[in-house]
Amino acid sequence: MLFFSYFKDLVGREVTVELKNDLAIRGTLHSVDQYLNIKLENTRVVDQDKYPHMLSVRNCFIRGSVVRYVQLPPEGVDVELLHDATRREARGG
Amino acid sequence: MALGLREISGEPVIDSENGEELMRVQPGVDIALSNLPRESPGTLYITTKQVIWVSDVDKSKGYAVDFLSISLHAVSRDPEAYPTPCLYTQIETEADDEINSDNSDSESNYVHDLSNIREMRLIPSDPMQLDTLFQVFCECAELNPDPNAEEQEEEHDWIFSADQMEDEEAEEEDYMSHNPTNTLGHSNGHHDLARTILELQINDQRFEDAEEIEHDEKDTHH
Repeated sequence: MLFFSYFKDLVGREVTVELKNDLAIRGTLHSVDQYLNIKLENTRVVDQDKYPHMLSVRNCFIRGSVVRYVQLPPEGVDVELLHDATRREARGG
Repeated sequence: MALGLREISGEPVIDSENGEELMRVQPGVDIALSNLPRESPGTLYITTKQVIWVSDVDKSKGYAVDFLSISLHAVSRDPEAYPTPCLYTQIETEADDEINSDNSDSESNYVHDLSNIREMRLIPSDPMQLDTLFQVFCECAELNPDPNAEEQEEEHDWIFSADQMEDEEAEEEDYMSHNPTNTLGHSNGHHDLARTILELQINDQRFEDAEEIEHDEKDTHH
């Protein structure tokens, strides 16, 4: 649940979602749900030479189970907050 | 669980005994699989479990794919990406799994070519329908979380039931704007921990430093 809460704070920011099939899509985070399904707006494919047919789509729904990484905007990373939260999660209580 | 696109013949079969419901029927939709030519108009059936397309010309011809296999869907209006506005989908296939697990000698070698279809475009004759179709796809995709993910959730006790989560979410909205640190604590369902820490910080005057840390944190988060 840590990441669900965390990603919700990032709504409206630019993120890059890397899929397990190596496709990387950049866009504005529109919403995220508890399964980490991700909706992006104004998306574009990072490696356009490799995936020319997906040049740009306006909105895009990505299934949580196919996401490998989410690259966050540096200014959206609060290291102290994450340290704190991950420690609590690791304690399991 | 069978991944990928499959061929069907005849009218769509809906497994209502297992809770499958028809969400939308959209006539006048063309389909294009991977880079294959676009196929003549058909009817699109969206259920709570799967997407079914049946040709209008030849009713015995059709395709179906489970939402579990749809990795992503998007509205594509860029003429450079595809000449006509369409709903673009990516499909996870059994072949993908095999690349990962590297057991290429399994029986799937003689499976129909459809197992290699990783992209499907749905082209409604009325492009105004695209946003609605996108929304219906979103709703249905959310109804079909990964079965493996749920198993994992049951193994670990820090994930709670969907009912609890709704309550937590409502609470969370209130906290979100005030104190993101507490939000994370509460989202894990650890009210007691959050309270204990709070009381510790307020009541225990012996640790002057602790208070300073608390102030520092506040500064960082606002």
